[in-house]
Amino acid sequence: MPQVKIIAKNFMDMVAALPAMKLDKLYDNTFICEAVLRSLPPLAKKYALQMLYIDVPVPVKSMEEWVLPDGFSKHRVAIDRLIQLRVFIENTDRKRETSYLLHPKFKSNLQKYLVYGGVLPREPMPSNITVRLPTLEELDAYALEQWECFLLQLISSSHAERLTNFSPSMMKVFQRGLLSQREKGPRLTESGFQFLLMDTNAQLWYIIREYISNSEDRGLDPADLISFLLELSFHATGEAYNINTLTEIQRSIIKDLADLGVVKLQQGRKESWFIPTKLATNLSVSLSDSSSRKQGLVVVETNFRMYAYSSSKLHCEILRLFSRVEYQLPNLIVGAITKESLYNAFENGITAEQASINMPLALESLLLFFFQSCRNIFFTSRSNILIGLKSSLVVGVPRFWMVWCLNFLYFLVYGFMGFTHLPQEGIGMIAPVN
Amino acid sequence: MASITSKLYSDDVSLLVVLLDTNPFLWSGENTTTNSLSFPKFLTHVFSFLNSILLLNQLNQVVVIATGLNSCDYIYDSSSSPTTVESLENGRMPALCSKLLQNLEEFLARDQELNKDESPPGIASSLLSGSLSLALCYIQKVFRSGPLHPQPRILCLQGSSDGPEQYVAIMNAIFSAQRSMVPIDACVIGAQHSAFLQQASYITGGVYLKPPQLDGLFQYLSTVFSTDLQSRSFLQLPKPVGVDFRASCFCHKKTIDMGYICSVCLSIFCLSLVRLTLVLLQLQTGRGRLQNPSSILD
Repeated sequence: MPQVKIIAKNFMDMVAALPAMKLDKLYDNTFICEAVLRSLPPLAKKYALQMLYIDVPVPVKSMEEWVLPDGFSKHRVAIDRLIQLRVFIENTDRKRETSYLLHPKFKSNLQKYLVYGGVLPREPMPSNITVRLPTLEELDAYALEQWECFLLQLISSSHAERLTNFSPSMMKVFQRGLLSQREKGPRLTESGFQFLLMDTNAQLWYIIREYISNSEDRGLDPADLISFLLELSFHATGEAYNINTLTEIQRSIIKDLADLGVVKLQQGRKESWFIPTKLATNLSVSLSDSSSRKQGLVVVETNFRMYAYSSSKLHCEILRLFSRVEYQLPNLIVGAITKESLYNAFENGITAEQASINMPLALESLLLFFFQSCRNIFFTSRSNILIGLKSSLVVGVPRFWMVWCLNFLYFLVYGFMGFTHLPQEGIGMIAPVN
Repeated sequence: MASITSKLYSDDVSLLVVLLDTNPFLWSGENTTTNSLSFPKFLTHVFSFLNSILLLNQLNQVVVIATGLNSCDYIYDSSSSPTTVESLENGRMPALCSKLLQNLEEFLARDQELNKDESPPGIASSLLSGSLSLALCYIQKVFRSGPLHPQPRILCLQGSSDGPEQYVAIMNAIFSAQRSMVPIDACVIGAQHSAFLQQASYITGGVYLKPPQLDGLFQYLSTVFSTDLQSRSFLQLPKPVGVDFRASCFCHKKTIDMGYICSVCLSIFCLSLVRLTLVLLQLQTGRGRLQNPSSILD
């Protein structure tokens, strides 16, 4: 889903949108330079690397000679990104020839990295002070639990068992764009549904982006926030770091991050420390990495009953969006896809393709057929004309009469709406689904 | 030539296996080209290059194998950690240099032990076939580690001349790399071109380069060899002018242009022993009739 990548990559766009002075100040920090380099497209990474030890400006034509003709679009994307982030500085000399030079602070920081290797932002605490450190599995479970609790509170506050420490105004900021207020209560929008289908990394980036854009109203400097978050991704998972090494601002941020499951806070006898979880170190991993995706299994039968092997409340909520959940066992969620649940889904603007992504591939075609056939009758583009007779095929009403009535009604509507509104393939869809 | 098709990956995560030539005869000053580049300087270029690979992506992995005179061994693996068991997504960069240097010293001492009795004439060739096999074994292990794994490639930093006695083993390694779609890149730092490595990079779809100026080795490495496999299809990378496809005969291990090939086993011979060996092979495969055993010895 290319649109997902756009939402998540916007974090780096936010960095790029900072004014030049602030960006230059950000590049004083080695970790930010590393994180920015890692976020670049692969071709841009190569260009940055090969320019590291070149002191003279390189003309544009020389850069272009490296690329084959069919890679030219990628070349342009890479160069544009580098210029946007001010990693490459363009200068035009008197002969009207543009050339590129690497940002000096960026260059010197990365040269140091190449010579000395990577260093940690701060030293972990000695193990004699930190007792009862959780194991990596416990830490993962904690992070997952916190994150799911947060997401549950985000999409449906009534279903959350435990509320996070975020103030209601903060939650409203996060919900902006994802939920819309309806008469029956807050309902999920199309972008909200897309958000739920993204993998954890992308979701985390989205939330953090909202958090940072909101920070200016609360008096925090976004550049500080960005630099702290990027620094956090270079810590080692499972190691304890002293909270006293953080500044005041960073300490307030840490509490919010603990609610998201990014770090875990623990208290010793005299000192308190924070432990970065996998979510923290994944902050700078490439966005197409899918190793954090949860494994689960959804089986959809031809009679539109659905079995989801998952014990997560979040999955239950997501499935509730377009199906009727009948009962929930400790490791199984049983539901059925009915016409009412589909009406709800289409009202919210969920398209057939989005719903089918959630389903295993083998049954995708079946589901797509069903959804599309419903959609053809419903005349998509979110109009509320719901001619729901098609889906009565799900219910076991005598098919012959239903088909006859359906055809009759179809002709009526056909007459009213005129030829142009009907998709041609809709006519072929009026047949019993065996 | 096999083209590198990326299988299922959309990332630029790569596993780079570097084969370092540690042949003491190469580095000890007899070879004029490497006089401009001493071994310590060479190692600094390599360290910077390894750091740059680990910088590019958090999940990148680097493995270094030393190619010695009589043996080969793994020197460094960036995914293993000495103290605690840490996962790859750690974000921590271990102290590359100290560990690598320590292991290298120990390896060289062990290699020299094996060399005590013999004194080969001229510049002996290093055991490239052994290190290629070690690299391919490691890569196979990575392939079997799960559905998500980095894209592997091999980089040979070779300076010693080719040893024709290793021809068969090297060709076997090359073909198995071609089968597993692992490109073999070669950066030749010795005086002459290496026919084996030219063939290796041609067959597996890698890049062969002999840098004219060894002082700038890091720049060559970072410009040509640091790109991941997917981006390579968009880049103009150096192509060798001609590939030396000469084989070496199985009997004398000499490089030959014309020779005889057994139609059964495809082994290559120069003229002298052809009749004897063919007959022996016929005996082994059960073909051919032997009337007079003494006729073999003619």
